[in-house]
Amino acid sequence: MTVNPVTYIEPTTEELAEGVRLRRKKRMTNFAIDVFLIIVSILMLLPLVFLVANAFKTPAEMLSWPPTIIPRDPTIANFSAVLGETPLLRWIGNSIAFAVMSTIAIVATSAIAGYIFGKFRFRTLNILFALFLATAIVPFEVYMIPLYFQAKSLGILNSVWGLLLGYLVMSFGIFLIRQNVIHSIPDELLEAARIDGAGEFWIFLHIVLPLLRGALGALAVLAFFQAWTAFAWPMIVTTTRTSYTIEVGLALFQTGFTVDLGRLSAASATVLIPSILLFVVLRRNFVQGVASTGLKE
Amino acid sequence: MLKRKRWIFAILAILPTLALFAYVRLYPIADTLRLSLFKWDILSKNKPFVGLANFRELTGDHLFIDALVNTTIIAFGVLILTIPMALIIAALIFHRTRSRMAGFYETAVFIPHVVSLVPAAMAWKWIFDARLGPLNALLTFFGIPAQSWLFDPVLSVICIIILCSWQALGYAVLIYIVGFKNLPVSLYEAAKLDGASGPQSFWYLSIPMLKPITLYVSVVTLVSGFNVYAQAFVLASDAQGAPGRQVRVLVLDMLENSFRNYRVGYAASEAVVLLVIVLGLTLIQFSMLRERGKV
Amino acid sequence: MKNRSAKTRISTRALLVSAAFGAALLSGVSTVSAETLTVWSGYPEMAPFYEHVAQGMKAAYPKLEVKVEAIALREHEKRVALGLTGGQDGTTVIELSGSTATRYLENDLLPEAPADISTFVKDPKNFDKFFSDTAGQGGKIYGVPLFRGQGALYYNTDMFKAAGLTAAPKTMEEYSAYAEKLTKRDASGKATVSGWSMRLSGGGQGIAEKFWINMHQYGGAILVPAGDGKWKPNFANEAGRKALKQYLTNIFTTKTVTPEMPADADAFERGQTAMFIRESWVIGDIAKKAPDLKYATAPLPKGSIALPTNLYVAGKGADAKVGWEFAKAANSPDNLVWLLQNVGWLPNRSGVDYSAVTSKQPAFAAFVDYPKGYEFFTLPSIGPIEEILTRVAAQLVVAFGDASMAGDDAKIDAFLKKTSDEVNTILAREGLAAK
Repeated sequence: MTVNPVTYIEPTTEELAEGVRLRRKKRMTNFAIDVFLIIVSILMLLPLVFLVANAFKTPAEMLSWPPTIIPRDPTIANFSAVLGETPLLRWIGNSIAFAVMSTIAIVATSAIAGYIFGKFRFRTLNILFALFLATAIVPFEVYMIPLYFQAKSLGILNSVWGLLLGYLVMSFGIFLIRQNVIHSIPDELLEAARIDGAGEFWIFLHIVLPLLRGALGALAVLAFFQAWTAFAWPMIVTTTRTSYTIEVGLALFQTGFTVDLGRLSAASATVLIPSILLFVVLRRNFVQGVASTGLKE
Repeated sequence: MLKRKRWIFAILAILPTLALFAYVRLYPIADTLRLSLFKWDILSKNKPFVGLANFRELTGDHLFIDALVNTTIIAFGVLILTIPMALIIAALIFHRTRSRMAGFYETAVFIPHVVSLVPAAMAWKWIFDARLGPLNALLTFFGIPAQSWLFDPVLSVICIIILCSWQALGYAVLIYIVGFKNLPVSLYEAAKLDGASGPQSFWYLSIPMLKPITLYVSVVTLVSGFNVYAQAFVLASDAQGAPGRQVRVLVLDMLENSFRNYRVGYAASEAVVLLVIVLGLTLIQFSMLRERGKV
Repeated sequence: MKNRSAKTRISTRALLVSAAFGAALLSGVSTVSAETLTVWSGYPEMAPFYEHVAQGMKAAYPKLEVKVEAIALREHEKRVALGLTGGQDGTTVIELSGSTATRYLENDLLPEAPADISTFVKDPKNFDKFFSDTAGQGGKIYGVPLFRGQGALYYNTDMFKAAGLTAAPKTMEEYSAYAEKLTKRDASGKATVSGWSMRLSGGGQGIAEKFWINMHQYGGAILVPAGDGKWKPNFANEAGRKALKQYLTNIFTTKTVTPEMPADADAFERGQTAMFIRESWVIGDIAKKAPDLKYATAPLPKGSIALPTNLYVAGKGADAKVGWEFAKAANSPDNLVWLLQNVGWLPNRSGVDYSAVTSKQPAFAAFVDYPKGYEFFTLPSIGPIEEILTRVAAQLVVAFGDASMAGDDAKIDAFLKKTSDEVNTILAREGLAAK
């Protein structure tokens, strides 16, 4: 298909008709794209919809064939049973405590280290930064067993502190903040403050931190969800029922002698719904944080 | 003088983070390397140095080889499924950026990536269920015989690939959307003037220009694929009433060796193998990027 | 000023870290207090029993606080391994099977029982020699026997009646024949209710353990002692072939069971299988979850697994004493009857009158009144037992999925040989292989 070079002459009726045709074609294409994307979106959400629906099914309906999508006579018995039989709220509390503390630790260490690495270009620091970056590619699973023994010798197994040990620093967070410091904090600003006699710490607190608010927010959301969805580490650190995080509690819930899918779904739904809501509220921050992970160059 | 003061501030400020970092990252990583050379059993008092004996044993350990093969298949399976789909979906969402629905699409595709893994896996466990699951209901509706998804050696691996892809897709889409947003608009306008259709400019412009992003997303997907654990654990955990086939993956084999067989040194040698794989993949990514930079 | 501010940061951090340590220490201190006893169990259904025992000790120890932590067996074994090697705080009563405890005894990680407890356990009037032997090592007593896992056949009497069967199968051949008759199928011939539920999938060693029970009926074993503390596999033979072939025939030839069918106690309680072999706790489970189920039990053709579980005490000095008292109190006749009635695990102590429970619940008969010459076996008390069973299980899962093996004895033999060699390799690595 070739198109004539653009010239500015009055459109003929033919050309106008062509325009209408093109516009209609464009609308049709857009419509088709929308239909496709809606189908994709629904498929992506469907498993979660199933889960929530199962949570409201009676045991008999759980076992019926063909499976139903919408519960015939919804019941909340599963929820009350789960809440009665398991310390579900305790697990959720553990997860929240762990995630919040991990977020604070990661944001604090990343803010300081990112700023120092971004604005203090000494050779020692550059070497240290390379070290931080190099370990970023080592998966957590590789070194979690020795880390476990460290937690043990500190006597912090089965506690939020033990969980926290694995999630105190985040190499990527330091990297992210450093990039932000380099790009969004002009040296002149810092120099001006220094000339005015401001101390380094004052500068960090009153000039740098406010400018990093957006990036730190994104990092905080990222860190929170990272801890919230952690699995392998909590799985080995916690062995008492009262210290489980929600992920571990749910995973071990089904390893008893018998499985009750309805209750399991109820427990799962209880966890899913708040985290989805939280995500929807924080979506902007989150998307910004995740998107920045892709901009490594 | 001033420089010296600033240096002192920088070092003092970085010190706590550095200490923490050394304690929770550097030391355990070094320890993994050390343990892999020892017969370090939790229970025995005697923990002798055995050199490369653990690695030699790995080469003949069929459970480990099984785990390595499964993990590799899963990692590459997720890659092959996720990347093309993510690219297309991202292109379409980007195309509809200005529509009111764009936010919904983005959220819907991304939610599986943020929801906790275990509850999500529960949902899939039901979907794949041989007797009660909607997947088999759908198949039988179309006259296809029902499959025992979680029990067949091939299908159970496919189930894990599907579950992992479902979770990985959102991340890849998001990164691609950012990539699309950063592409120069002028180039597309020029292409349009030259008569290129949407699919054509996607194929000849977007895909080549997004290559670095594709490379990055591929490596991230592969690396997280190699660390697969929770998915395999939940889909086939020990539950006695409704078990599934245990798909042995690296991390699972590692944890079993250290916490069930108490052979921490041996598990550490597995961890070292995992590390080598991940390092290899990352190096490939870097060298490919550099090559591109030269051209 | 600059430096000072930097130091402020550090001290905040230091404060945080020390707060963490403080909290950890504090929680450590609280568990050390003398009047607290922790009970670690690997069976969640045992928790009420230990609570009951604790209640009974209130009179003698009014200030005693007993914390019962019962979690899934795998997790339990993990925490025991890590807890004992890392210096356990406070006094803990640990429930362990004799075979698992051995490795701790070998490494001096569990203390010997005090003299009075030792006398109590060694008294043949209290415990059969089999049980006191598994609670000790080298003539010393380290644990107090409590209960055992012993298998028997559970069968659904309604389904038996419907299939025209009146009595439990008595030989392994009958098991297969019964399974064929009991299987219910849909129009296409696919099994909907399995005739005989076998353990065919899942993770871990359970598959191998169940296989061993079946093979035991044919005279085989995964491991047999070879003298001198050494062991050797004993399944690459006729017994192994017969046992494996029976599995394969049921899966592929008569199609009475498939891996994806609901299995075990869960399926039995829901009427999804007609019979299966399991320990006595199922009786209690059925009473709770499916009280209307019509079923009976029967001894196995030749003999059963008997996996004794003992109570051990980790702790030092005078504090440990109350732990041993607890272990002894658990063995009081009243508590044992309570255990049998409410939980269903079989108590090991002799000379206790269980008839109040067994007369009311005839299902216990198969566990208590077994025929003369009924042969018991137990898991060897060696370190790598779990690794061996896990590896055998991994191999068996492959075999259970291989239809071509069903009619091919040579292939079965080759498979058993290969698996047997693998077991030997592990034994050799740990210096346990017979020469």
